[in-house]
Amino acid sequence: MKKAFYQFIEHTADIGIRVKSSSLAGLFKCSGLAIADISARKQKTHYHKKHRIVIRQKAANVEELFVNWLNELLSVSAIESLVFEDIQINQVNENFVDAIGIGSDLRNYKLNTEIKAATYHQLKVKKTGLIWQAEVIFDV
Amino acid sequence: MYEKMTGNIPLEKIDDYRWCIPRSYKPGMRVPGLIYADEKLLKDIYQDKALEQVVNVAHLPGIVNNSLAMPDIHWGYGFPIGGVAATDIDEGGVISPGGVGFDINCGVRLLKTNLEYDDVKGKIKDLIYRLFSDVPSGVGSEGDISVSPKEEKEILLKGARWAVEKGFGTNDDLECTEENGAMSGADPQAVSQRALQRGKTQSGTLGSGNHFIEVQVIDQLYDREACDTLGLNLGQVMVEIHSGSRGLGYQVCEDYSRSMIGSLTKYNINVPDRQLACAPLTSSEGKAYLSAMKCAANYAWCNRQCLMYLTRQVFEKVFGSSWQKLGMFLIYDVAHNIAKIEQHKVNGKQKNLCVHRKGATRAFGPGHQALPEKYKKIGQPVIIPGDMGRNSYLLVGTEKAMQETFGSACHGAGRLKSRTAAIRSIRPDMLLKELESKGIIVKASGRNTLVEEAPAVYKDINDVVGVVHNAGISKRVCRMRPLGVIKG
Repeated sequence: MKKAFYQFIEHTADIGIRVKSSSLAGLFKCSGLAIADISARKQKTHYHKKHRIVIRQKAANVEELFVNWLNELLSVSAIESLVFEDIQINQVNENFVDAIGIGSDLRNYKLNTEIKAATYHQLKVKKTGLIWQAEVIFDV
Repeated sequence: MYEKMTGNIPLEKIDDYRWCIPRSYKPGMRVPGLIYADEKLLKDIYQDKALEQVVNVAHLPGIVNNSLAMPDIHWGYGFPIGGVAATDIDEGGVISPGGVGFDINCGVRLLKTNLEYDDVKGKIKDLIYRLFSDVPSGVGSEGDISVSPKEEKEILLKGARWAVEKGFGTNDDLECTEENGAMSGADPQAVSQRALQRGKTQSGTLGSGNHFIEVQVIDQLYDREACDTLGLNLGQVMVEIHSGSRGLGYQVCEDYSRSMIGSLTKYNINVPDRQLACAPLTSSEGKAYLSAMKCAANYAWCNRQCLMYLTRQVFEKVFGSSWQKLGMFLIYDVAHNIAKIEQHKVNGKQKNLCVHRKGATRAFGPGHQALPEKYKKIGQPVIIPGDMGRNSYLLVGTEKAMQETFGSACHGAGRLKSRTAAIRSIRPDMLLKELESKGIIVKASGRNTLVEEAPAVYKDINDVVGVVHNAGISKRVCRMRPLGVIKG
């Protein structure tokens, strides 16, 4: 199991995760990939085309940016019927993120859990020393 | 006075089924918290952060009487699940998307049949497998009921009536649906293009998570008069459908949760949790959310109407008779994630309130004008599903609920254990065997869904319903036990 890039946090009804990274870009990338890891399991690849989708978000602070980012990934993947297998962060600061999501056709996956949205409840995004850490609860 | 501590939150016992968190507990609380539970359920309630969320909700501007918690209360986001709060529109009352949730108008409907247990016991496997094959379910499921953009906007306005006009039901179905299947005041202009895109292919789909269609049999009657009114008897086969507004509702909630973060500063509102972001009901932001929420609620009623249509079709195939001859008539359809503008008495005065029910069911008492004529004598049917291995209940609303809970009751059993704990500790093959040994056939889209929804992760519905009945905020009518279920 390759789940080292995030940990689950116990929550009665929903799913919480904790993500750590040495950079803000890494934090955003890992959290985005955690969505795919929780939601879906890869089956055989029948549909080989990769879809590159630009994701840009802005917000008043890094926590709101983080939630906006995750919800944008969820929303785009639902509309485009994709699972984001990789993410390239072009630029990120505490108020803006510009990235490319690389998506694979949903039909290549067995879907496990529907994440409805990322929430602001008990949301934490902070840098301690050299490490960025985020905690977020998803409504499932 | 008897006092218990949960973390550092004091609980004062009012009686065997009511507990109070005094307003003095935390500066900023505008009203006390009132929890409906008995000693047994309180032990579970202590285990998570739901009581903290009851306290947080008590901070909402314009909240009146109490921040309420039903006995199925558990930790959610923003509001606790099982939370009820009413805000006074004329006193700066707010509306909060977090008080409704992402699955706007998630709800449940209950149909009766004239079949008895003996009629279905040899066909239950066939029935469940056909339901599973004919009703689209699972994560991101898409249905055969495809709609044009124009039709989708009609659904947002007409709700379940859209489906009835397409031939997917009758006017009697609408009469037996909360709000007759559509809230007035819905404005599709308030719904984002993205939300419309997410809803376009999902009408008539069950979804995933705790959504289900369950075939049940009545195994206990409690109120003969109400059963006679509803045409119910021991051994009668019933069908329960649980679903919501799918991706369209999620997107509406997300859009407005995001924009209402800005409303907190604009209207100088302090709440302890950003997921309680809100805006005054009289503000442009509050009005826009309410209009969009109504669209999503109407979409959900249309969805459950379509799901019922598909269910009736499956029964027709399996039993070789029309659904009318099979007596598949709707008892009622209730929302349990919604905000409604309702009139209730506060300190003896009739007030216009916005009642948030987040994991709570409307439970209007006898005589209420919102009820169909045929239910005015007994009160509103209140449908409370349990987990897939235990009972579900039909209750009716009471006058006491009107006085104490803005006409509200619980919505289900309430979760006890997390999904991650379920996946760690429950084996799907063992679970299926255990259910089959009880005569319950289960078909689920995903392995995770199955274990995440196992009976062991839920409170005992019998305890939860016992509290609402004994507290007098709803009255037991009959109990059902599951025969088979499809899970999303």
